[in-house]
Amino acid sequence: MSKPYILLVEDNPDDVELTQRAFAKNHIANDVVVLNDGAQACEFLFQSDRGGRGYPQVILLDLKLPKVSGLEVLERIRAFDHTKLVPVVILTSSKQEEDLLEGYRLGVNSYVRKPVDFNEFVEAVRQVGLYWLVLNEPPPGSGGGGM
Amino acid sequence: MTDSSVLRPDLSLVLERITDGFFALDADWRITYINGEACKLLHASDDCVGKAWLDAFPKARGRLFEREYARAMRDQQAVQFIEYSKTANCWFEVKAYPSADGLSVFFRDVTSRIESQREVERNARRQQALIDFGRSALAGLTYEELLEDAVDLIREILGVNVVEILDFDRGDLTFTVRRSIGWGSLAIFDPLNPPVKHLLQTVKTGDPFVCADVRIDPRVRSLAVLENAGMLSSIAVLIGTPQMPMGVIAAYYAQTRTFSISDVRFVESIAQTVAESASATESNRRMVQVLDSIKDAFVAVDRDLCVTYVNARMARFWRRQAGDVVGLPISHFTDQFGDGGAALRNFKLALREERALTYETNFNGRWYESRIYPFAGGVAAYVRDITRRKTEQERMVALNVELERRVAERTAQLELANKELESFSYSVSHDLRAPLRAIDGFSQALLEDYGEAFDDRAKGYLDRVRRAAQRMADLIDALLKLAKVARAPLVLRHVDVSAVAAGIVEELQASEPGRTVEVAVEPGLQAVADPNLVGAVLQNLIGNAWKFTRRAEAPRIEIGRNAAGEFFVRDNGAGFDMTYQNKLFGAFQRLHSTDEYEGTGIGLATVARIIHRHGCSIRAEGAVGAGATLYFTLPSNEDRKPDQ
Repeated sequence: MSKPYILLVEDNPDDVELTQRAFAKNHIANDVVVLNDGAQACEFLFQSDRGGRGYPQVILLDLKLPKVSGLEVLERIRAFDHTKLVPVVILTSSKQEEDLLEGYRLGVNSYVRKPVDFNEFVEAVRQVGLYWLVLNEPPPGSGGGGM
Repeated sequence: MTDSSVLRPDLSLVLERITDGFFALDADWRITYINGEACKLLHASDDCVGKAWLDAFPKARGRLFEREYARAMRDQQAVQFIEYSKTANCWFEVKAYPSADGLSVFFRDVTSRIESQREVERNARRQQALIDFGRSALAGLTYEELLEDAVDLIREILGVNVVEILDFDRGDLTFTVRRSIGWGSLAIFDPLNPPVKHLLQTVKTGDPFVCADVRIDPRVRSLAVLENAGMLSSIAVLIGTPQMPMGVIAAYYAQTRTFSISDVRFVESIAQTVAESASATESNRRMVQVLDSIKDAFVAVDRDLCVTYVNARMARFWRRQAGDVVGLPISHFTDQFGDGGAALRNFKLALREERALTYETNFNGRWYESRIYPFAGGVAAYVRDITRRKTEQERMVALNVELERRVAERTAQLELANKELESFSYSVSHDLRAPLRAIDGFSQALLEDYGEAFDDRAKGYLDRVRRAAQRMADLIDALLKLAKVARAPLVLRHVDVSAVAAGIVEELQASEPGRTVEVAVEPGLQAVADPNLVGAVLQNLIGNAWKFTRRAEAPRIEIGRNAAGEFFVRDNGAGFDMTYQNKLFGAFQRLHSTDEYEGTGIGLATVARIIHRHGCSIRAEGAVGAGATLYFTLPSNEDRKPDQ
């Protein structure tokens, strides 16, 4: 059984750094796998061997990604048998209505807008982490699961 | 045997008493007796008794009297006849009875009977002549031909020497000879400038001028000229009426003559026909002028579809003379100037159904509009060249198509621009915020990780960096909202403005429970508008009022509607200087510093845009320190129907 981990799909290195800093501040010690564009994310998720890992506990997905957009990645995740039940949280700067609607339509579990204020951002990450990694019961048989 | 020379006295008395004339001849044609009546009739006396009959009455020689008396005596048979007596200048009806020794002749004056008979005959002939003349006037004789007939007829029927028809000019009261007959070498005056003074009276009164003897007529001196020209009697009648005199018919006779009433009537009848023909000719001429002057080509056909009239324009179109085509079948031309039989078909249709028709045809690259009207005698058609109108129409259609194409093009461009704007907004919201987050995040990280390396001033600077980043993020959000307000489609619904306002006030109150603001919302405010946008408007305006009354002693906000129907949001807060009111509704325009009152400067710009999108208006009144009132209108029930 592989270690549970968080998949962060984010192209902006600043945001990657800040997100990881927020995890650290909130004492979230789970592994974080970072992928920098949608194509990488798909490749990683849909290959049979993910470097010996199972499926992530939760996927934090940015929307505006190079190559394959976040919404497209979400659509493929939901279309692929092994990943369709994996919790996906959209973590993005956008609060465009269209993005929200499309995200929920494609079956996202949660939609969180990244606040500019870092303290608020830390708080948001804390809550997301607390909820999806601790409170939430993952679907049975999902790759992640357990410890 | 009796003595034939001496009648018995008793018989003589009888013969004197009879009203007939009577005389007796012996076998040798000697007059043996003549009664008083006979003497009177024959202007003779009884001393002719004993004379030979032909010696007494020589004018009877060779005439019917002599021939009939001879026949009676030869055949011993009575004779009866009527003959004009040159001796007596009258008509006698004669009965003569022969005997072995002579002839008894009875006769009476039947002149009046004969005359009246001849008068009847003459009148009948005149009537017939007038009827014939009237008929020929109707039969399409030209006016000139008719005048020629008129002078001929008058000369023949009245037996006069000269007949002339003169035109009268009402302007300068002059006559000119239109037509005359019979002067020949007799005229010793200028025939174009005849003696006419005596005619002026006729023109003026309409009474005929009749003169039996120009030598003794006291009326007009100019008659003397006639005498010199060899004319002793004259008759003249008016053509037309005294109100509308056209001219005069005058006849002259080389001898004295008392023209009879029927003579006058006859000439008057001729004059009337001439006048009628003249006015018919005139009205016809006017009609032709009218038809020739109109822009349409005109043709009239009879019920057999033969041309009865064309105007000059139609004749020109047919490349014919107008006079040449009358009587020809219309098909001759419609075939030649081919309209595919449309004209003929429509002519027949108009005739059959007795209704007017309009149709368009194309011939030789030009468009024609034909209007066909049936009338009692046939069909009339007006044809107009409508090529220009048609071209205009086609141009308009082409123009419309082009316009529609351009509108579609513009719409497509607009849609594209909108799409671009959308993707721009999208980029703004994503990409502009990310760096801000980094600025804020790493400033915070610096403070947290290296805080001991910074003094308070440096920490203050980092605080400022973070506040600036946050403000920039707010501005971006406000801008995106403004862009959205401009783009989103309007959805009109009934909106309970009072309820929406009350809800907003409640929220504000909840967000700052520490503040006490007196708020009055007028109940029953209604509008037909986009509910979300009205919400945004009230949110901004009431939010502003809430914000700007923060330092007021007894803050008060009033939401209502004035007598002019304007909604208003009034506060007694900071107010503003009316000098800057034009800046109030522009994006990023602020009348207060951010330190005094927070805000992006986008709020009122957003409100104004929403109000304008509803086709309504907004204005502000206020004074520094004395509060502000924002007035705005919204569509009401009467203006618009909600979408659903």
